[in-house]
Amino acid sequence: MLNNIIYLVLGIFVSYFLIDFIFFRKHSKRPILRTRLINILIMLAILISFYLVVKEMSVYLFLQIFLLNIVDLCVLALATTGIVLIFKTSVTTNFAQGTMATFGAFAAAKQLLRLSATTEYSMTTKLIMVMGVAALTSFLIGLFIDLAIIRRGRNVNAVGKQMITMGLVLILFGFMPLVFGTTPLTIEAFSYDVKIFNIGEMMLILPTHNYYVLLITIGLLGLLFLALRFTKWGLGVRATASNETVASMMGVNTRLITAMSWAIAGALGGVAAFLYAPVGAQITSTFMTPVQVNSFLSAVLGGFSTFGGPLVGALLINMFQSMASFINSVWANVIVYTLVLFLVLAKPLGLFGKKTAKKV
Amino acid sequence: MSILTVYLKAFLKSIQKLSKHPYFGFIVFGVVLLIVQLMNLSGLVTPTLMKTLILVMIYSIISLGFALLLGYAGLASLGTAGFVGLGTYFIGHFSGTLGYPFIVTLVISLIGAIVLGVIVGFISLRIEGLYLGIITLGLSEIMKEVFKSFSAFTNGVNGLSFRNFALFGQPVSDLTVNLLIIFVFIIMILATLNIIKSPTGRALLAMKNSDSAAQSMGISLLKYRLLAFVLATIYAVIAGILYMANQKFSIPTTWSLDFSLNILAAVIVGGAQSITGIILGTFMIFGLNLAILQNIPFFQNNPDAVWIINGLLIILVIMFYPGGLIRLFQAIKYSIISRYKKIKHAWRVYRYGEDD
Repeated sequence: MLNNIIYLVLGIFVSYFLIDFIFFRKHSKRPILRTRLINILIMLAILISFYLVVKEMSVYLFLQIFLLNIVDLCVLALATTGIVLIFKTSVTTNFAQGTMATFGAFAAAKQLLRLSATTEYSMTTKLIMVMGVAALTSFLIGLFIDLAIIRRGRNVNAVGKQMITMGLVLILFGFMPLVFGTTPLTIEAFSYDVKIFNIGEMMLILPTHNYYVLLITIGLLGLLFLALRFTKWGLGVRATASNETVASMMGVNTRLITAMSWAIAGALGGVAAFLYAPVGAQITSTFMTPVQVNSFLSAVLGGFSTFGGPLVGALLINMFQSMASFINSVWANVIVYTLVLFLVLAKPLGLFGKKTAKKV
Repeated sequence: MSILTVYLKAFLKSIQKLSKHPYFGFIVFGVVLLIVQLMNLSGLVTPTLMKTLILVMIYSIISLGFALLLGYAGLASLGTAGFVGLGTYFIGHFSGTLGYPFIVTLVISLIGAIVLGVIVGFISLRIEGLYLGIITLGLSEIMKEVFKSFSAFTNGVNGLSFRNFALFGQPVSDLTVNLLIIFVFIIMILATLNIIKSPTGRALLAMKNSDSAAQSMGISLLKYRLLAFVLATIYAVIAGILYMANQKFSIPTTWSLDFSLNILAAVIVGGAQSITGIILGTFMIFGLNLAILQNIPFFQNNPDAVWIINGLLIILVIMFYPGGLIRLFQAIKYSIISRYKKIKHAWRVYRYGEDD
């Protein structure tokens, strides 16, 4: 099957160059036709390879692995949305997203310990309260970062801002053991039961924790997308994203919008870290790093220009991962990253990216 | 007696003439490092400080290569850790496990570096700006995974140790390794100096400021982007080889994102366009921690707190001194000179009266 996929990739490459060379060579609209051809070929490649792998795995196994990995997908979606939100308003890729989130998870775990020692609430109540703590901590950190640093660094160029966020990663790394101590902390899952349900003749197992995680993620992302679509803040975010100067001239309070975007992105990250903690066993200062890397890649894969694109990117990366680990579990990450690299090389602005005119 | 004075004066004059040469400062720096090494032998300098200096020198080589990318070509890459790791595994595998002569290993490593640099260079032609950082980060993750999984080459997660470093068939002592590192460090500095003052360096700088303007002046983006990445990769691989000769051990977890971020921090903090600045920045990020801060009880109890200082340095430098700390020193130097001139003027006025 691996051979089939390699033949497929080679075939796609060869057909691209052949079609480009034979049919488009003397065409006046060659660049446009090329991008269209690339789109079609990528769609074809993804569909055919999905078909091949799913046929090999059987639909049952595919769905089952998908259900078991759904926490990863939800966490990835939340983290990616946070990164895109910040990119839209501050034009920087936030490397500190994962670290901000880890701070929230640490605070939540500490609070959970305190609650367990002093009160008699049920586990679910405690966890929901603690989720609020995680979101609030990361919310405040995001707000503080914008107020203290990003707002003052307006004249720094885009790459400089990116480096500022890298500096923030180091600072937060340093503060974590000072604030929360060095003993690793844990957060319990909502429930360790499983739900069994039937689709047709297939009997699928869904862990209850994954079910709750899915509900929370869909709720949060749904709220966020509704807010972006229908509230004044959402309009402000979209206006700031398209042009900050013009937006501020039209009476949009871009400072407030940016600050709120950082804060909300932080809160999303905090919830993501809280949901990821039971899967990743122990909370250490680096436990969100894989999520961080993957969410960057999914944002690049989907393209930063839309809010929905990165979510599709996250879904694709998650599916690639479950399929790759079926093909070869040792080299799974290498396969996934290489695939993403090739996809991004074919479409540098992402799968759903829009080309913007550049002023020279 | 008078002849001697004449000779002395001539000697001083020739020294003065030499000191105008751009190499002079760095060669003096190399001699000072050699003297420090000798003082270490006689026990005047503590072994900890010497170890720190050697490590800082190795990291400075990486930073110099990275500065060519960031400060001159304007390409922000986060793949540095992967390249350095590759260098360590090249020597560890070919010279250590398989026992090839050093020269063969060096040639293999350089070819590997060039191939890798060309690949990343081609990627950089398609993907620009912020995205390039993320994609090279992905590339670095791929390499880290390869280091973890490709046990035949890297000995997997247990790490690869390398004890039998030999030059021309002779086993080499630690002292010789240190001398070699100092020598290579100075050579790399001079090479960087030559590159940045040559047409290549000017072309890179033009490319950094504006792609389109550079292209319209006849600078080939393809050629110079590939060149920039190949150079940076070669520097990183050479540093990796030296790291392995000095530390004798390499493990995949070292070559993760933090390492790339620290190299980036070193280049930014020092000043990406000045060689002195880069060395200063590398010392601030890596050496300060190892040599000074670890003697303070607070940092002994909380080893991770050192990151706070590094992070603060990066943010403050980017926000207030975009040229790096070296600009701060220059500013201090100029202010001292201007103060001195004012005082001199005041003294003259006092001594000889106001000038009409």
